Amino acid sequence: MIQGTYFVLGTFIVLGVITIGMLLATRSGKVTPKIRRIPALDSIEEAVGRATEMGRPVHFSPGYGEITTSTAPQTFASLDVLGYVVALTARYNTQLIVTCKSPQSFPMIQELVRESYSAAGKPDMFQEDTVRFISEAQFAWAAGVLGIFNREKVAANIMVGYFMAESLLFAEGGAQVGAIQVAGTGNLAQTAFFVAACDYTLIGEELYAGGAYLSQDTSKVGNLAGQDIVKLLTIAFIILGTILATAGSTWLVELSKM
Amino acid sequence: MKRSVPVLIVFLVGVLVLATYFIESPGLKQVGSMLNNWGVIITAFAVGLACVNIIRIHAAHIANQRTGWINSAVLLITMFLFIIVGIYSRNNPSNEGAAELFSNLFNYAYSPFSATMYAMIAFYVASASYRAFRMRSVEATLLLAAAILVMLGNAPIAEQLWNQFPVIGSWLLTVINTTGQRGIAIGVAIGGFATSLRILLGFDRGHLGIGD
Repeated sequence: MIQGTYFVLGTFIVLGVITIGMLLATRSGKVTPKIRRIPALDSIEEAVGRATEMGRPVHFSPGYGEITTSTAPQTFASLDVLGYVVALTARYNTQLIVTCKSPQSFPMIQELVRESYSAAGKPDMFQEDTVRFISEAQFAWAAGVLGIFNREKVAANIMVGYFMAESLLFAEGGAQVGAIQVAGTGNLAQTAFFVAACDYTLIGEELYAGGAYLSQDTSKVGNLAGQDIVKLLTIAFIILGTILATAGSTWLVELSKM
Repeated sequence: MKRSVPVLIVFLVGVLVLATYFIESPGLKQVGSMLNNWGVIITAFAVGLACVNIIRIHAAHIANQRTGWINSAVLLITMFLFIIVGIYSRNNPSNEGAAELFSNLFNYAYSPFSATMYAMIAFYVASASYRAFRMRSVEATLLLAAAILVMLGNAPIAEQLWNQFPVIGSWLLTVINTTGQRGIAIGVAIGGFATSLRILLGFDRGHLGIGD
C-alpha cells in the first residue's frame, strides 16, 4: 500500500458499501426513497413543449467534460438527462440538436440519441446533423454553438454537464435568441453564471439526481438515497472535526493523513 | 452480450487504474500506464470519427447551398489547411517555411479568434448581471444587495466613504459565500463518487445503449 492512502481507501470502502447497499435495498423494495421536487428538471418538458409550439429546435449540450477524467461523472449524469430530452422530442416531433466538444463522448452520444429515437418508434428523427461534433478547442466550440443558436433560432437550450468559461457565452447567446434555458453543472465557478442567465438551474448535486428523478429507476433512486446518508456522515465528521479542533486536538487531521 | 462485455471491460479497467492509486507495484504501474496509452489511441480514433461527422455535415450544407453555406466552406478549407500544413511541417522539420506557416496560422488566426470569444464574456457578464439583479424577487434583491456590497468592498473610493465596506465585502465572500460553496462542493463530490461507482460496477448501463 502507498503511504498516506489508508484513510482514503477506508473512506472509499465505507462510502461505497453505503451507496451500493442503499441501491440494492431500493432495488429489492426494502426501502422506497422519495425524491423532492426539482423545478429545473420539471421545466425540461415545458421547454421542449415551447419549442414544439414555436416550431423551432431544442439544443442540448453535454458540456466540456470528458469520459476519462474527473469530469466523467458529470458527463454521464448529462447523458441521463439527454435520454429524457430525446424521448420528449420524439413524442412531440421536435427537432433536436446536440453539440459535442469531446471526441471521446461524441460516438457514445450519437449512438445514445440514435437508439433512443429507435426505442421511441421514431428512427427517422435521427439525422446526420442531429448530433454535431463542433471542435475540441473550447472557444471554437463556443463560437460554433453560438452560430447554431443564431442561424437555427433554437427555442429551448438545455445545458447539463461540466462547463467552463463557455457557460456564460452559451447562456447569454441562448437568452439573446429568446430560448428558454435549463442548465446544470458541478463546476461551482460556472453555477453563478447559469443562475444569473438561465431560467432554471440545477445546483450542485441536483445534477446527479437527474437520471433518478426523470426515470424513477430504482437503482438510481437508491444510489441517490445512499448519497444522502453519506452526506449526513460527512456533516457529522465536520462537526466532530470542529469540536476536536476547538479543543486543540489534531487527532482527526492525523487520521486523515494516514 | 452487447452490454455485458463493455461493462466487464469498464469494471476491469476501472479497478486496475484505481488500484494504481493505492498499491505500490511496478507491474501494476506499468499496466496503468499501458491502459492510459490505450486511452490516448482510442481518443485519436474518436477524433477521426468526429472529423468525419464535421465533413459530412458541412459538405451537405455546401452541396445543398443552405443558409450560411459559405461558413461551412471556410470551415472545411481551414480544417484541411491546418491538417495538411501540420502534417507536412511535422514530417519535414527542415522546411522552415512550412513550420513558419503553421506557426503563423496558429498565432495570427486561431489565437486571436479564441481570445475574441473569451473577451466577449466581459460583455455577457454585464448583460447577465443586469437581468439577474433586477429586483423581481426576494432572492434577486438579496443577490443585488450582496453584489453591491462586495463591489463597494473592492472599490477604493468606497473605503474613503466608509472604512467598513471592505470588511463587510470580505465577510460576505469568506464567510457566507465560502460556506455555501463548500456545501455545494461536498454534495457534488459525493454525487460524482456515487455515480462513478454505479457505472464502474455496471448498475448503470444507460450510456451503453438499449438492448442486451
